[in-house]
Order: sequence, then C-alpha cells, then structure tokens
Amino acid sequence: MSGFTLSAVFVLTLLKLLLENIPQSMHRAGDSLLELNSTDGVANGVTTVVVYFRGFDTLGEIAVLFIASLGIGLMLSQNKRCTIKAQSNFMLHTAAKLLFPIITLYGIYVMVYGHLSPGGGFQGGVIIASGVLLLLVSHRDFEVPHSFIVALETFAGVCYVLIGLIGLFTLDVFLGNFLPHDISQMGLLMSGGIIPIIYIIVGIKVGSEMSMIAQNLIKRGDDV
Amino acid sequence: MFEYLNDSTTIKYIVTIGSMALFFVGLFGLLSQKHFIKIFISIATMETALFLFFIGNMFNKNFTAPIISEGFTDIAKMNDPIPHALILTAIVIGMAVLALGVSMSIEYYKLTGNTDIDKMNEMRH
Amino acid sequence: MIGFLILSLFLGIVVVAFASIIQKKLADSIILFMGVGLGSVVLFFIFNAPDVALTEAVIGAGISSLIFLMALKHLKAES
Repeated sequence: MSGFTLSAVFVLTLLKLLLENIPQSMHRAGDSLLELNSTDGVANGVTTVVVYFRGFDTLGEIAVLFIASLGIGLMLSQNKRCTIKAQSNFMLHTAAKLLFPIITLYGIYVMVYGHLSPGGGFQGGVIIASGVLLLLVSHRDFEVPHSFIVALETFAGVCYVLIGLIGLFTLDVFLGNFLPHDISQMGLLMSGGIIPIIYIIVGIKVGSEMSMIAQNLIKRGDDV
Repeated sequence: MFEYLNDSTTIKYIVTIGSMALFFVGLFGLLSQKHFIKIFISIATMETALFLFFIGNMFNKNFTAPIISEGFTDIAKMNDPIPHALILTAIVIGMAVLALGVSMSIEYYKLTGNTDIDKMNEMRH
Repeated sequence: MIGFLILSLFLGIVVVAFASIIQKKLADSIILFMGVGLGSVVLFFIFNAPDVALTEAVIGAGISSLIFLMALKHLKAES
C-alpha cells in the first residue's frame, strides 16, 4: 500500500520537474564572484567563497560541529572505560605504526595547499582524524591525551574570532583581509593574505573534534 | 554507439530521474523499516540524493573546475563556485546531526533494551 | 560516452541503495551504504567538482561509516 502511493508521488514529481521550461541561458550568480576572485582572492575559487566571501557562515558551521561533539561527549563518557579483550593481529599492529606518519603528512599537505589545488581545511583535518582512528583500533591501550586536545581546540577557536576582530578594528569589516595580498603572487604558496591562515585554523579545530568523537565512540561502553 | 546520450538536455533528464529515484528509495526505507539504525541509513541516503541533484544540474561539458592554474586561466569557461561551497557546508552538518542522533539511540537502547520503534510507547501511559 | 557513464552509475547507485534497505542483518546494510557513498564520489568527480568529491570521500567513507559500525558494536543486533 505504501509502495503504491510512493510510486504515484514519484511519477507526479518527475512530471512536474521535467515538463517545465529549461531556460536557454541561465544567469549564473557566480560570474561576478569569479571576476572578483582574479583580483582579490586565491587560485582556488571555492576556497575564496568559503573563507573570504562567506566567512561568517563557516564560523557558524564550526559552532554546529562543536555543539555536536559536546553532545556526544556528554552522553557517552558517563560509562566506564572499556577495553577490547582480543589481542590484535601482528600485521595490523605493525602496519598501523608504519602508516600513521604517512597519513598525517598527507593530511597536512592537503590542509596547507588548500588554496592552490582542491582540498582545504575540512578535508585535511578529517584525514588526520582518520589516521588517529587507525591507531585507536589497532592498539589496545592507546588513548588520545585529553588536555592536549582540549587546549588545541580552544586555541584554534579563539584565534578565529580574534583574527576577525583584528580585521574589524583595522579595516571596518569583520574578517577583512588586512595582510598584504598582491595580484602578482597568485599561484605561489604565500599569497592571499589571511585566507590560508584561517583555513589552517579551521582544519586544526575540525581534526581535533573528530578525534574526540572517534575516541568517545570506541573506548566508552561495556566490555566487548 | 550511444551517441544520442551526449545531448545536454538528455543528461539533465538522466540526472533528475536518477536522483529523484534515489530520494524516493530512501523515503520508502524511512516509512517502512522498524529498526532505528535503518531509519538513520535511509535519512543519509536521502541527503546524498539531494547533493547529487544540486551539483548535477550545473553540469556542462565544455566547462572546467573553478581553479586557476597553468593552462586554465579563462574565467568565462569555469564552473560556478557558489553551489560547491553550499554543498560542502551541508555535507559536514548532515554528518554532525547523524552522529548526535545515533549516540542518542545507543543511550536509549542501554536504558530500555528494545530497538523496535513500534514498542517505544513510554509516553502513552 | 559521458552520458552512458552517468546513466550506468546512477543505475548502480539506485540498485545498491534498494538492496541496502531490505537486508535482514544490520552489518550487510551498513556495508552496502558505503557502496552508495563510493558511487557518489565518482559522480561528483565527473561533474567537475573536485572539492565536493574529496569531502564526500573522507566523510562518507570515513566518519559516517565509523558512526554506524560503532552503533552496531554497542547494540549487538542482528535484524
């Protein structure tokens, strides 16, 4: 019965979406932004939009991630600490110790070169967190040091708002670009002013939050 | 052999039908399953279908990615960077909401011990 | 050539998603959900969006699947 109604609604939605007129020349909203990008931004267009033209939305997204991590930490860390009883495999043990520096190096590369090639802060931070996850799964008594991660995350969050306030006091624009950014340096590593700095701060915060989520999910609960 | 499939209107039709079919498969799973982890999997499938619909309607064969590098310096032939930025934020927030929902379900299971949504009627008595 | 690739990928994704919902065990359902994420990463790359493809790859295959597998461990359920 529910399958029949769902198929009927599916056919009606398709008829409505396909039979409307597809406009011949779409007016794209991003053309003006791409022109501004060649004089004010960095080589990667998406990075400029996320960090500089829409920097306030990125601040809100980091706040949402922080609240989610806070909720998971509050709910799951009341249980007692659990250990995995089975001894891990010898191959997994050795391979995880060999792979963890390579994964961290790749994550830092994606984070730092985020304004010249596809990538950025979010992707690099989550790559580093997946390397930590590999170590958590393969070693029985490895724990992420709690106070170090908390200090790192707080420092990154405070630095983001401080940079925005410095931009407000010197240029009358919140998150304004107050470092020198020349058009002649597009394509080099040190270009774009504060854009690479903010993306690195976002990457550090996201990576440490994902590591705490992973540790709370794996190491708290009843014994397996 | 399949040359008639490379038209731009045909590709828009394929993208619309395919992503709407994935959305309705997810909706069918949301309405008919009883285990609450399967309900979360259906919600995640629906979100993936929406992202595919959004990005697929901006596809044009002659355009390239919005990154300036050697050999690709023509701005008029680049894709639009605004939908990419919106979808990036949406993917991360969808994952955060999913994580919070799943951990709440784990706590509920530890409290009462049932995983069936038909038996969750503590608020009725 | 591109149209044929997009059509076959969409067909594969819809079939794998439907198979993931009607499974009886929970572990099979989660593994087939990872297949949906893999197909969508290839589709995002064909649509000239490399940033979105990278983000969906690390979050869909890394963190989202980790959350579901840890829920399976805490629940110890089979249906």
